[in-house]
Amino acid sequence: MTPAIETTSLTRRFGDFTAVENVNLTVEAGQFFGFLGPNGAGKSTTIKMLTGLLAPTSGTIRILGTDLTENSADLKRQIGVVPEGMALFGRLTASEYLRFVGRMYGLDQATTEQRTEELLEFMNLAGEDKKLVTDFSHGMQKKLALAAAVIHGPKVLFLDEPFEGVDAIAAGTLKQMLQRMIARGATIFLTSHVLEIVERLCTHIGIIHRGRLVAQGSIEQLRAGVASSGAAPLTLEQIFLEIVGADRDGSLAATPPEQELSWLS
Amino acid sequence: MAQLDDRPDLSRPARPGPARPDFTRPDLASSAYAIPASTQLLAIAWLRWRIFVNGFRRQAGSGKVAGLVVSIVLRVMLWPIVALWVVGPAVGSGFLAWMAVDGHHPQRLSVLFGGIALIWQLIAINGTGIAATVSSFDPSTLLRFPLRFGRYLVLRLLLGLMTASTIVGCLALFAAAIGITVAQPSLAAAAFVVLAIFAAMNIFLSRMIAVWMERWLSTRRAREIFTALMALVFVSFQLLNFHRPLKFRHPTGHPSARANSWLNFLSGTHPFLNWLPPGFATNSIFPLEHPLARLAQFAALLAWTGLFLAAFAFRLHKQFLGEYLSEGAPRSAPKAPRSHPPASTPAPAAVFNQQLTTSNQQLLSPTIAACLRKEWVYLRGNTNQLIQMFTPLVFVFIFARGILARHPAYLLSGAVGYALLGLLGTLYNVFGADAAGVQLYLLAPVRLRDVIVAKNIASLALLLVETALAWTIVMLLATAPITLSSQFSAAFWIVFVVFANLTLGTMRSIQAPRKILPGQARQLRSTSTSRTSALIVLATLFGCILLQVPVALLSGYFHNPWLAVWIFAPLAAAAVAVYALMLANADRLILTHRDLFAADLCGD
Repeated sequence: MTPAIETTSLTRRFGDFTAVENVNLTVEAGQFFGFLGPNGAGKSTTIKMLTGLLAPTSGTIRILGTDLTENSADLKRQIGVVPEGMALFGRLTASEYLRFVGRMYGLDQATTEQRTEELLEFMNLAGEDKKLVTDFSHGMQKKLALAAAVIHGPKVLFLDEPFEGVDAIAAGTLKQMLQRMIARGATIFLTSHVLEIVERLCTHIGIIHRGRLVAQGSIEQLRAGVASSGAAPLTLEQIFLEIVGADRDGSLAATPPEQELSWLS
Repeated sequence: MAQLDDRPDLSRPARPGPARPDFTRPDLASSAYAIPASTQLLAIAWLRWRIFVNGFRRQAGSGKVAGLVVSIVLRVMLWPIVALWVVGPAVGSGFLAWMAVDGHHPQRLSVLFGGIALIWQLIAINGTGIAATVSSFDPSTLLRFPLRFGRYLVLRLLLGLMTASTIVGCLALFAAAIGITVAQPSLAAAAFVVLAIFAAMNIFLSRMIAVWMERWLSTRRAREIFTALMALVFVSFQLLNFHRPLKFRHPTGHPSARANSWLNFLSGTHPFLNWLPPGFATNSIFPLEHPLARLAQFAALLAWTGLFLAAFAFRLHKQFLGEYLSEGAPRSAPKAPRSHPPASTPAPAAVFNQQLTTSNQQLLSPTIAACLRKEWVYLRGNTNQLIQMFTPLVFVFIFARGILARHPAYLLSGAVGYALLGLLGTLYNVFGADAAGVQLYLLAPVRLRDVIVAKNIASLALLLVETALAWTIVMLLATAPITLSSQFSAAFWIVFVVFANLTLGTMRSIQAPRKILPGQARQLRSTSTSRTSALIVLATLFGCILLQVPVALLSGYFHNPWLAVWIFAPLAAAAVAVYALMLANADRLILTHRDLFAADLCGD
């Protein structure tokens, strides 16, 4: 089966700094893929490249088997994105924004109207018709950004920290929606620092550290690859810390005891 | 999310529809049916319209009705001025084009077209900086939508059509075509076609300059160099004006004779313009000896137009593919922590007590000292502000030897007042550069009065340096000695102006702050309150400056040069007293307005 997302030697440099280096990533269609990494590891840069917002320095990206660089306009119709900064238009209302996005993705007027109403109701934003997006809380903006990302029914969904700032009830609803999308065959590529959420939702994981993809596979595969000292299976957090917490020379990146902030009461 | 069960189930189609799509393959076959251009263009037009309408709704809805009214009144008042800016060049161009053709001086047309193109591009370049910061719509945000490059190119061309430079330039060329037609009706068709191409050429050129400038000015250092260069250009124009030939500085004779001498002077540029679009446009309008020669001239104009479009498209295509324009890396990877030898650190209470003891021994409280250090760091990294600070001094130099030299009574006050104008304006938004950082002032255990004192000390230091330099320039360049009474009068006037503006400015900084984005020379789109602020700034500044006139007249009437001192000294004392009063109430003022204060500076 054609992978939904496939990168070959994907590299992005900013001057002397290499943000992403030789990343070979494969996400099969229908996978709920969690992309993890510490701050500054290159997650957002990778997502930007995968969604065509940032050009790679070298390497190739294939989405649904098609080269992104050569068919970006066509492929953008197949993908949905909640980007890092959400990219909302603050001076529109939620319904105005969704209508605009729907039309930009080529939905007809009637479908746009219908999906706008359904999404606003689903996200519990239907009562906020007079409010401008800029006056929304962070969580409401996140929900709106997610609604805009799915209004055209994408086959691949890229979510950069989708649950950040979203209340527990809304997060639960969103998770249900995402799992139903997966059940229908969509592919979801998600980054989050909340490892419990990733562990619960994602079937496959990729871990990027200092721009390099250091681990990739199902949670079971990752678990098998990391030595466990106890009988209980390792959690994703433990796996993550095992893989990322150790530097190349084997020393722990965590702060040594002598450097603890002893003056803190 | 209370009624979870009532929400639609998005996992199933709500209405009978086509069979389930295959999520594993790109639907490129169906996407081959391109989204109609009209759909996306109309969506963007509708977006612009809603943003415009909601801008008013936001002001009214947020309880800033007074600001909205002032804003509308201000706009209505500005319309005649704006109309003059638009109609003036158009009428002028039409008249000059008619004069050139009717007087059988076709070469003057190329000078006219060259002038229009030059002004068009200068306004456009100046507008690029404004658009980068005040526009509520960044066209690059459209890149995430399924747009093909051709459509994105058209969109980028269309989105900038309503700029001042394009409107003024197009109207001027349209009027020029009418002028040519009136003078020689047989040239009508050629004039309109050629000038339409010439207008397109100018549009492409301005867009090309804008996107390449965006590329070149993507780093802070480059922006600072550009600001310095622009300041240098404007100063050079003034110097040229100051040193221009005497026959142009003090023209005598009939106005038409003076105009003719100017036109003859400008016509000297004609051979040079013949190789540029203005020359090709002119030669395409008039029949030449050989018909092919005229066609070649038109082809050359088209080639220039195509060249600018290609250069614009080339750069835009880089952006379309996801070029990253910024200082460098969006962020750097975290570095390994440095190892410090463990040191015995005193307990927090001991540190607090130590600070209290130290503060008693210091001239400034630790809060003021820390804030001053922060202001110094901001100033040190803001080359633009330093350039803006020193540019007026060049004009003081010019004025001191020029117009003000003939009015010694106003020389010192006028020159120093002019030098201080820009800096006084900054007093009205002292928290703008701190943006969301102002929350620290509200959270930290500090007196807000101390923060304001620190900011005012920093502002006063800059004002003092500027005043001292301007004062020195005037004293050195004055052709006649400036009397002691004039100097005292100017000194008291400056104290009055500075403290009056400091008081009002600090209050407005608290009541109507505006967030300033780092690295950008201009501020964000003004809210209604900031428009009110802008009006107050202008009224106060010009009121203070105009105060000089009646005082000087009174002094002259009573033949008492010290009268101005007796008027300005109590005014200065009163201004200082009012400032002290404001400072005493600063904590209460900030706490009263903390909602708006934090919302405006910390919001999006």
